[in-house]
Amino acid sequence: MTAPSARPGASRHLPTIVLVARREVRMRLRSRVFVGGTIVMVALVVVGIVAASLLSGKTNPVRVGFSGGSQALERTFSASAAALGVKVTLSDVADVTAGKGQVTAGTLDVLVTGSATAPAAVAKASVAPNVESALSLAAEAARLSDAGLTPVAVRSAMALVPVELLAPTTPRDTQNLFASLALGILLWIALGQYGNLVAQGVVEEKATRIMEILLATIPPSRLLAGKVFGIGLVGLLQLTIVGAAALVAVHVTSVAAIPALGMASILADIVWFVLGFLFYATAYSAVASLVSRQEEVQSAVAPISILQIAGYLLMYAALPNPNGPLATVASLLPPFAPILMAVRMASSTVPLWQPVLAAALIVASIIGLTWLAGRIYANAALRLGTRVRFTDAFRG
Amino acid sequence: MDDRVLEIDGISKRYGQTVAVQDLSFEIHAGELFGFVGRNGAGKTTTMRVVLGVLAPDAGVVRWLGMPLTFEARRRIGYMPEERGLYPKMRVAEQLAYLGELHGMADGAAREAALGWLERFGLAERRDAELQALSLGNQQRVQLAAALVFGPDVLVLDEPFSGLDPVAVDVMAAVLRERAEAGVPVIFSSHELDLVERLCDRVGIIDHGRLVACGTVDELRAGGRERRWLDVPAAPDAWEPGVPGVRLLAAAGARRLFELDAGVDDQALLQAALATGPVREFERVEPSLGELFRTVIGEVAA
Repeated sequence: MTAPSARPGASRHLPTIVLVARREVRMRLRSRVFVGGTIVMVALVVVGIVAASLLSGKTNPVRVGFSGGSQALERTFSASAAALGVKVTLSDVADVTAGKGQVTAGTLDVLVTGSATAPAAVAKASVAPNVESALSLAAEAARLSDAGLTPVAVRSAMALVPVELLAPTTPRDTQNLFASLALGILLWIALGQYGNLVAQGVVEEKATRIMEILLATIPPSRLLAGKVFGIGLVGLLQLTIVGAAALVAVHVTSVAAIPALGMASILADIVWFVLGFLFYATAYSAVASLVSRQEEVQSAVAPISILQIAGYLLMYAALPNPNGPLATVASLLPPFAPILMAVRMASSTVPLWQPVLAAALIVASIIGLTWLAGRIYANAALRLGTRVRFTDAFRG
Repeated sequence: MDDRVLEIDGISKRYGQTVAVQDLSFEIHAGELFGFVGRNGAGKTTTMRVVLGVLAPDAGVVRWLGMPLTFEARRRIGYMPEERGLYPKMRVAEQLAYLGELHGMADGAAREAALGWLERFGLAERRDAELQALSLGNQQRVQLAAALVFGPDVLVLDEPFSGLDPVAVDVMAAVLRERAEAGVPVIFSSHELDLVERLCDRVGIIDHGRLVACGTVDELRAGGRERRWLDVPAAPDAWEPGVPGVRLLAAAGARRLFELDAGVDDQALLQAALATGPVREFERVEPSLGELFRTVIGEVAA
């Protein structure tokens, strides 16, 4: 009764959702877009982290050479430099001419000449202000003790004015802001890219008419679910690769102190990606199923694209004041939560109830959207030709 | 006799004001090749989509093995839609194996069956090519392989012969015949009436959504008008046999073709001819399916 070629094999029967998802994963992983895109994203992230570490955290110590009588200043100079927060390395220079040669050659940053009470500095182009101040302090101390003050008196005379900072910004905060922004952009790109892949995949099946064969075999809900899961897995894989590359780069360049690039933050981002992807993928699949040609996809998905762009703009609006009312409210709304909450969590401290509420809201809306998208998709999937009206597809 | 029958029972489907099919009923038995013919828009594709469950009918039911078709039973139907469709960027063998698995085959068996059918259609060396790299005729063969790959219980093929070269038509016809002989009910639609006549055990003619004739080609001929060629060299040019219900259709020299209404005695025509002189030829002509088709459709239209 069955064809001779349909002998039962001694192997696996997979559920149809898994079959559909596996096909998506295989096809996407094989595509140049995935391979190329992943390489570019990894490269951008690694270059960004390395550049950040070179630009800020790592300032090289200033190399200062002392010649002749000024060598007596070395101890007080290094103490003053430390108090002013400058890293210095000191060396003795025997000959002034040779020292100037070293400055010209760039192996020495500052050459100090003259006596302890009347030192002079030689540099190639400029002297860092803090180095100049430390040197002046050291010379002043030498003059005071020369004038007969005891070391204790000198020290109290030279004491720095204490400064209290009420809202200090450190270079690390700026770095963290940029890192958060970079994460937000990356997340935004990934959500847009994989949402659009779902839309294109849905239309591809309508445009090539394979939909009719597929729907004669599996129910539309399973076809859609398999597609969303498959593409989502590919997106997750790509983000995980990029995230892992970021963690390695952070570790190697030792800018690990940036919280936005910590393990917890990156894991949270992956969770937000999954939620955001499910939200946008279901929305994209519903509107995409209304059209039959690839050229019509962009206009069909426009309302959702606009929502995504709004999220992108809100990210910039929210970032300067991540706990302000605009940022707080917007980050709770399902269309914006995946990006805004991720950015807020990376850039500041957010009360726990907020991400929990945002996650609950988006999960609830994903459930609602899945029902809606399944209905639209099932009704519109086999209507080829002209664009199907949303209300017609909803009614069935 | 095999009692595995695909029954289409009272199917109706309308799109808005347009009636696509109206109270359509027929059966296809196991081992039977059933040809489904009709003009464009007559309702063939709608009927096939209803059988596949791709379209829900407004009324009527499709039964298989005496039971309304379940989703599981539908998965066992091999289907070739009118609008061809496969993934253009997917490799041929991989694609067939995927469809086999979707229809419930285990992965190894699906792979094996895919390669087997590609071999059969002479596409073995293209198995790792993307579908879009194949010629249209070869894509069509892959499409048929997609309907066959999982060893279906029933075959439903919408215009399987359109766009095929004569060699491919022969291969396709042989495969359909072979499947039918293996006990699979096969229904296919076609505009190639000669092919349908040659290939099919039974034929259904559909027009404006209604089944206007159904049966073997011989059954369709019975009850219809019959034709006779007569060679009457002595008859005058304007000779009329004078028998009621007999019309002259064509004349070629002394040979004339007459059409007889149902129930008219052809011996009366022969007597009339003999009255003119010698009769060299008196031949019964069987109308082709094409002629029957035009007659049936013409009657409905009239």
